[in-house]
Amino acid sequence: MSEQTNQQNDGQVIFGVQRATKHFGGLAAVDRVDVDIHQGEILGLIGPNGAGKTTLVNIVTGMLPITSGRVFYKGREITSWAPHRVGRLGIARTFQIVKPFRNMTVKDNVAVGAMYGHGGAHRSARQALEKAEEVLEFVGLEDQMARGADQLTLGALKRLEIAKALAMEPELLFLDEAMAGLNLREIESAMELVRKINQSGVTLLVIEHVMKAIVGVCSRVVVLDFGQKIAEGTPQEVMNNPKVIEAYLGEKFARRLREEAAHG
Amino acid sequence: MSEQPPAPLPREKKVPVQVTRFDKVLGQRRNLIYIVVGALVLVVLLALPPLGVSGFWLRTITQAYVLAIMAIGWNFIGGYTGYAAFGNVAFFGLSAYVTGILMKKVGVPFLPSLLTGALFAAAFAVLIGLAVLRLKGHYFAIATLGVAEATREIIADDLGFLLKIPGDLLGLIGLDKAAESLHAAAEKVAITDGPRGIVLPFFQPPFQIGDLTKVQIEAWFFYYLTLSLVILGILGTWWLIRTKLGYSLVAIREDEDSAKMLGINTTWAKVTAFALAAFMAGLAGGINAYWKTFVLPEEVFRIGHTLEMILSTILGGPGTVLGPALGAGIFTLVSSLLIFKLKLGGFHVMITGLFIVIVIVFTPKGVGEFLTGKKPLALSSLLENIRRYRV
Amino acid sequence: MEGFAQNLVNAMLLGGTLALVALGFSIVWGVLNIINLMHGVFVMLGAYVTYSAFTYLGIDPFLSIPFSMLIIFGLGYLLQRYLINLVIRAPLLVTFLLTFGLEMVFVNVALLIWKGDFRSVTTGYSGVGLVLGAVKIPYIRLAGIAISFLLALLLHLFMTYTKTGNAIRSVGMDLDAARLMGVSIAPTYAVTYAIGAALAAAAGSLISMTFPIYPNMVGSWTLRAFVIVVLGGLGSIPAVLLGAFAFALVEVFGGSYLPGLKDAIAFAVLVLVLVVRPSGIAGKAFYK
Repeated sequence: MSEQTNQQNDGQVIFGVQRATKHFGGLAAVDRVDVDIHQGEILGLIGPNGAGKTTLVNIVTGMLPITSGRVFYKGREITSWAPHRVGRLGIARTFQIVKPFRNMTVKDNVAVGAMYGHGGAHRSARQALEKAEEVLEFVGLEDQMARGADQLTLGALKRLEIAKALAMEPELLFLDEAMAGLNLREIESAMELVRKINQSGVTLLVIEHVMKAIVGVCSRVVVLDFGQKIAEGTPQEVMNNPKVIEAYLGEKFARRLREEAAHG
Repeated sequence: MSEQPPAPLPREKKVPVQVTRFDKVLGQRRNLIYIVVGALVLVVLLALPPLGVSGFWLRTITQAYVLAIMAIGWNFIGGYTGYAAFGNVAFFGLSAYVTGILMKKVGVPFLPSLLTGALFAAAFAVLIGLAVLRLKGHYFAIATLGVAEATREIIADDLGFLLKIPGDLLGLIGLDKAAESLHAAAEKVAITDGPRGIVLPFFQPPFQIGDLTKVQIEAWFFYYLTLSLVILGILGTWWLIRTKLGYSLVAIREDEDSAKMLGINTTWAKVTAFALAAFMAGLAGGINAYWKTFVLPEEVFRIGHTLEMILSTILGGPGTVLGPALGAGIFTLVSSLLIFKLKLGGFHVMITGLFIVIVIVFTPKGVGEFLTGKKPLALSSLLENIRRYRV
Repeated sequence: MEGFAQNLVNAMLLGGTLALVALGFSIVWGVLNIINLMHGVFVMLGAYVTYSAFTYLGIDPFLSIPFSMLIIFGLGYLLQRYLINLVIRAPLLVTFLLTFGLEMVFVNVALLIWKGDFRSVTTGYSGVGLVLGAVKIPYIRLAGIAISFLLALLLHLFMTYTKTGNAIRSVGMDLDAARLMGVSIAPTYAVTYAIGAALAAAAGSLISMTFPIYPNMVGSWTLRAFVIVVLGGLGSIPAVLLGAFAFALVEVFGGSYLPGLKDAIAFAVLVLVLVVRPSGIAGKAFYK
C-alpha cells in the first residue's frame, strides 16, 4: 500500500545535505549526494548493498569525517560536528547492527538516551529512568524493562535500539535497516511503530531493503547506487524508474511491487 | 545437562565484567544481610588498633588499604569505562615526588602536600588523557605503559633535558647567550634529585594520645588515614555509578559509538574517569612517600604497582563497588603470608605474576561473584572461562 | 658523543638485531592476535642460554644459536599449547594480562638464578672489526645482521612453501575457513608462538655478544618490538625490517643526544605513530 496516512509534511526543509562526499582512499563511497528532508515526512533511502546509505548517515551525523559537502539542520550548518553535539541538537539514529549496552538492563539502556539527548541536559539520572519507562511503553518493551539487554531476542533488540534513540526526544530520526532479520509479523509491527513515531512529531529517514516497508510508510524515496543519487520521488515513481529497476529492484520484483500497489 | 551454545569464534570485544543492576533497590533480605555484614566488618577494622593489633599485621593491613585506594581508582577507568590503563603508576610516582618535594624542599605540611600531589597527578592525567584516550584496547594499554616508563626516566634524569632541549634549539637559531644559561641551569637543576631520590621529613605526631609511643601514633595515623580513604573511595564509587557520569562511563565501555550518538561527550567522560583514577593513585603515592619516608624513581614508578592495582580490581571484580577493595585485601593478605611467613622473600614479583595468571584463566570476573552467591563455588564455574575462550 | 658516520653505522647494525627481535613479535601478533608480553622473556632466555653455554661449556656463541632457538621453541610451544590456548579467544586484554603475569614469573625466576648483575659474552674476537676511517664495524655485529637477514629469509620461505607455513598463514587470514579446511588450530597456534619465541631467542643470543644482559632487560625489548611493529606496520616481513631500521636510526641518534632516556624516546615514537599514522609506514592490518 502506498497510502501515507497522517504524514504532516509541512514542506519545510528541516535537514539539508549538499554535495556530501566521502572518500575512502581512492573510492568514493558517497559521491556528491544532495538530500533534503522535509519537516514531518518519512523519507526512504534505498539502494543495493554498498551503495553508501549507511555511510551517508555516518558522515552527516559526525560518526565519520566528511570529505566534502555541507550539512544543515534547521538552517544551521552542522557539517563535521561531533556525534554527541549532533545528538544533543535533536538528531538521533539507530545502527544497522544493533548496539545495545549488554551489561545493563533494558531500562538503563534507554535511560542513557534520556540523560544526554535533546531533552536530557537538565534531567537527573532518576528522572531519566522515569522517562525510560515511558519510552519503553511507547515501543512495547515495558515487560522487559528489568531484564539484562544481553537476554533479548533480535526483534526486541531492534526495538530497544529505537527506544534508546527515542529517549533522546529527537526531532529527526535516522533508522538504519531496522527491519532486517525480522519475520513478516515483526515487520508489520515495526511499520506500525514507525508510523506512530512519525505521528508523535518526529521526522524520519528510513534506510531499508524491505520494500514492503518502504512502500508502506514512506512519502518520498531517495535511491543511491555506487555512492550517487540515481533517483528521487514518490515510491511509485521510484519503483517504475528504469534506472532503479536495473540497479536494484530487478524487473520481476518491480513488476510485482507495481501489481501489489495497484491492488491496494 | 544442557550445554550453552558455543561462543562465536571471532573474539569478543570487551572484558567480562559483572552485570550492574543500577535499579536494584534495597528491600531484598539478601541486600540487608550484606549491609549488616559490611557494617560489622567496618567496626572490626576501625577497632583493630585499639585492640592491640600492631607491628607487622597493622603494617600489612595498612599496605592493603593503600593498594585498595589505587585499585578503587583504577576501577574507574579500567573497570567501569573499559579502558584498561597500564600506566597508573605514573600518577602514584608523580604525586609521591610532588609530596616529597613540597615537604622536603618547601616545608609544606603533609596534608596540603598530599592534596597537591594528587591534584598534580590528576592534572597530568587530563593532559595525557586527551592524547592517549583516543586509542583503544591494547594500543591504549601500551601507550599508557609507555607514559609510565617515560615518566620514570624523565624523573630519574632530573628533568634536565627539559631545559637542555630548548637550550639547544636556542643555540641553533643563534641566541647563544640564552642557550648557555639554559644549559647551565640544566646542569644545576635539582628538583627531583635524579636517581638518588628524596628523603622526606619524619612523621611528627600532631598531638598525644594516651600513653602511646611515637611509633604507635605514626602507625595509627597511617592506618586510619588510609582506611578512611578506602571508605570514602567505596562510597564515592557507589555514588558515582548512580550519577549521569557513571552511566555514561558504562555506556562507553559497552558501546562507545552508541554512547556518542546518544549525546555523551565521550572524550570528557573518559578524561574525567582517568583523572579520578589518577587522583586516587596520587593519594596512595603521596601517603606511601610519607609513610616510607623516601622516594626513589625505580620504586615509586615500579610497574609492579600498576599490575597489583589491576590484579586487585580483577580479582575482586572489575566494574563493581567493593571489588577493588576486596581484591586488594585478598592479594595483600595472601602474598604477605607467603612472603613473610613462608619466607618467600625474593618471590614477590613471581607471586603477583602467578596470581595474575590464575585469576585471568579461572576467574576473570573476579571472586566477588562467588561471594555474592551469583556463582556456585564449583569446579565447573572455574572452568567456565576456559570452556568459553579456549582454542 | 660519537661521530655522525659511526652513529649511522651503529644504527644499521642495530636495525638488524631489532628486526630479528620484532619479527617474532609481529608474527605472533598477526596470526594469533595477541600482544605477547613474554616476548622479551624469550630474548632474555636466549641470551642466557648462549651465555651459559659459553661460560660453562665453552661453546662458541654463534654455534649455540640453533640450540637456544630449539630450547626456547620448545618452551614457547608448551606455553602456548597448554596455557595460553586456554584463553586465547578471550578479549585482548585478557591475553595481554596473562602474558604479563607470565613475564613477571619468568623474570623473577631469572633473577633468582642469575641475579641482577650484568653479564656478557666476550670471546676472543669480540673487539675485532673493520675500521674504515673514523668508523669501527665489529665483525660480530656484521655477522649478527647477516644472521638476521638469513633467518628472515628462512622464515619467508617457510611461510610460503611449507605445509605448516601455509597453515599458519591461513589461520591468520581466516580462522573459520582454516578450520573448515582441516587445519588443527591448537597445534598451529602453538607452532606459530614457538617460532616467534625461537626468533626472539636467536636475537637474544646475538644480543648477548654485543650488549650486557640482565633479567630486567625484558621490558625494554618487548617495548621496542611493539614500537617497531607499530611503526613499520603489521602484516609483512619487509614492514618489520623497515620499521626496525627506522627505529634504530631514531634510537641511536636520539640516544646520543639524550642518553638515559631510551624508553622515553621509544614511547615518543610510539605515540607519534599512533596519532599520525596508526597503520604504520607500510602496514595494513595483518590478514584482517
